[in-house]
Amino acid sequence: MQNKKLLLIVGIAVVVIAVAVVAWWLIAGREPPVEIRDTLTIAIGAEPESLDPVRMTSAPAATVGEHVVERLIYMEEDGSLEPMLATSWSANEDSTVWTFQIREGVTFHDGEPLNAEAVRKNLARFVDPDVGAAYAFLLGSVQEIEATDEYTLELRLAQPFAPILSHLSHSFIGIVSPRQIEGLDPGDTFENPVGTGPYVMDRWSRGDSIRLTVNEEYWGDTPEIPVLVFNFIPEESARIVALETGEADAIMAVPPQDVVRLGADPDIDIVFQTSVRTIYVGFNNLREPFTDVRVRRALNHAIDKQAIVDSIFEGSAFVADAPVVDAVFGHTSVGPYEYDPDRARELLAEAGFADGLEMTLHHPTGRYPLDATVAAAVQSMLAEVGVDARLETREWSAYLQFTAQPPDQAEYDSYLLGWGTVTLDSDYGLYALLHSRQWNPDGNNRGFYKNERVDELLDAARVETNPDSRREMYHEAIELIWDDAPWIFLYNAAQINAVRANVEGLIHHPLENLSAWDAHFVD
Amino acid sequence: MYQYIVRRLMLTIPVVIGVSIIVFAIIRMIPGDPARAMAGVNATPEFIEQVRVRHALDQPLHVQYGRFMVNLLQGDLGRSIFNGRPVTTEIGERFPRTLLLATVALVIATIIGVSAGIVSATRRNSLFDNASMLVALVGVAAPVFWMALMLQLLFAVQLRWLPATGIGQVRHLVLPSLTLGTASAALMARITRSSMLDVLRQDYITTARSKGLGERIVVYKHALKNALIPVVTVLGLQFGILLGGAVLTETVFAWPGVGRLLVDSILRRDYPVVQGTVMLLAFLFVIINLVVDIAYAFLDPRVHYRSESGE
Repeated sequence: MQNKKLLLIVGIAVVVIAVAVVAWWLIAGREPPVEIRDTLTIAIGAEPESLDPVRMTSAPAATVGEHVVERLIYMEEDGSLEPMLATSWSANEDSTVWTFQIREGVTFHDGEPLNAEAVRKNLARFVDPDVGAAYAFLLGSVQEIEATDEYTLELRLAQPFAPILSHLSHSFIGIVSPRQIEGLDPGDTFENPVGTGPYVMDRWSRGDSIRLTVNEEYWGDTPEIPVLVFNFIPEESARIVALETGEADAIMAVPPQDVVRLGADPDIDIVFQTSVRTIYVGFNNLREPFTDVRVRRALNHAIDKQAIVDSIFEGSAFVADAPVVDAVFGHTSVGPYEYDPDRARELLAEAGFADGLEMTLHHPTGRYPLDATVAAAVQSMLAEVGVDARLETREWSAYLQFTAQPPDQAEYDSYLLGWGTVTLDSDYGLYALLHSRQWNPDGNNRGFYKNERVDELLDAARVETNPDSRREMYHEAIELIWDDAPWIFLYNAAQINAVRANVEGLIHHPLENLSAWDAHFVD
Repeated sequence: MYQYIVRRLMLTIPVVIGVSIIVFAIIRMIPGDPARAMAGVNATPEFIEQVRVRHALDQPLHVQYGRFMVNLLQGDLGRSIFNGRPVTTEIGERFPRTLLLATVALVIATIIGVSAGIVSATRRNSLFDNASMLVALVGVAAPVFWMALMLQLLFAVQLRWLPATGIGQVRHLVLPSLTLGTASAALMARITRSSMLDVLRQDYITTARSKGLGERIVVYKHALKNALIPVVTVLGLQFGILLGGAVLTETVFAWPGVGRLLVDSILRRDYPVVQGTVMLLAFLFVIINLVVDIAYAFLDPRVHYRSESGE
């Protein structure tokens, strides 16, 4: 018995030690941070799903990816389009053929030269239906892609598509080395992209971090900081702790409620940046009583948008004055609906709801900062004017499906959602959400809004090549949409990032990217 | 004995198959689909359809399940819908990290829990007993994420002794394993104490004492062995729980283990990864239970396993 017991104890000890050693051996290998000054660490909230352009779907993927892989055109913070891998571009008379001059003397990180053929291969892969890129629709208007000589690329469109250039600037349309995608099956992907960017992919420690090193051969200005690390820290408070301890030099997505406390730390700077995302409560425009424009307007008047911005977001958001944010091409300020509960009650009474009405308000929880809190605030403000809104929430993925049902199956009165106009062009924001051809399940018009004049204008603006006429078309459309009030227009979300005070030069882009190629440490 | 082990191992097969059927069905029954989880509000109907076809989600459920089982028998758990990587690779990278965390947490829990339990039992109603049982009560009751944040605040933010997040060095392991081990330690202290008190009341202990044996020998040689039997059960169960249930700890400390992988995959409706992870955890749970049962035979001479039942 003594022997047996001893055997058991020794056995357990051996197993435990063996397990620990094996596990240790398997996960060891991530180098300790070398010289702190060599490395800039940015903590982001989610791991990129992939850095293969055709598999990218999220802002974290775009943020990491654009340090390694570049696209033809770069969109500046103000929305202007600048040459990147294309040095110039021009269109034929009716804007159906676009010609791009590809930058000469650029090589990929594997030594392959950049040329028109390399770009063609990438774009062809992006639009290949068998590859099935989630964002292939960005180039949906492209019919043919041809490399006409070493450095000239031609895109032929079925019909003019005015926003084509801003679509091409989208972070997901990146150009990787042709060697990387040659011989790849349509369903296949790769892990570490080989691009032309200022940083080179070094190591992806799954679930933990991505490490990039500087590209000494970069065609532009070589970055100052040799090593760039993106850490994935999903928990908000842990991200803040990492910044406070200096484990991270910058963090993205600071919760609004922590801004004041964190800002009091002299070693930490809070950075507010507008985003391109607007948050709204959409009405099901086919359902009684939201078929009545007076009801929809009444509910807009019932909401104190400024109070939401001030008290929930501590001022780090902006009251929406149009269905798209102001940085977007075609934006015109038409709002906000004045906060006026009396006017709201009057309008409701006119529509036959003097005694109030009942409705459901569906909302996600945790998808947008403080989304559930906002929904509760909307509920209580609606109660003030006699509207009894029942809140219902669903987990994000289920929520998306619930609000994507065709008209006859849509079981919601209203739904809280956000939309980022990532191309900074009204087409992306208005056509997708408010054109009647985009009703569920074909598009993102989840509230079944339809106004024939708006449809006409949005169609015309897609093919109009004169920017001034386009802008006017969007202005008219936005005014009509505003009067129709298919949504309760709420607020434009801001991004809140925080940076340690010894770091300068980070670019906090409205497209929710954080770029480090111009960053440096100061003493 | 060996026949018993083999028989128990065979029994894991129906258990794992049962688990696979349940997981397979449940994950597909909850609303939401992977394409939407990936592309969010931008998911086009074409993309949703493509994802369905590529991952055979347009097939009837039994056909999907059949394919899944055929691939499984060839050691292929499929590819993640989310990032296209083989599920075995995904789990293979994450599981060692969870295993390491759970093992260290369990060692901490056992050392602290069992010793506190023994001392409490032998000095019943002493100051130490009351204090440690109070601490144990708090340890069991305190939410894991709260404990995690408090430890982070104290050791990472205030004292700057340890890193708050990340992996790679031994220092990174301290806070997560302490967090994870605390609740288990508290539970084990309570179990050890009550089990020890039970045993100390029995006749053979009185006999041992009346023979004039020293208290130390009575407690450690005679009582402890029997008192440990329920502790071993709890230990096994706790290990299983720590392996699968470290989600909160892994999230707060950004520790990339299977717990987080599982929860993320459920949110993304990444069916193959969910299936693979749950089946692995179910399998481990069965194995751990088997090991616990075998350990009984060593600890308790009254327990014998024979191939024929009950003989």
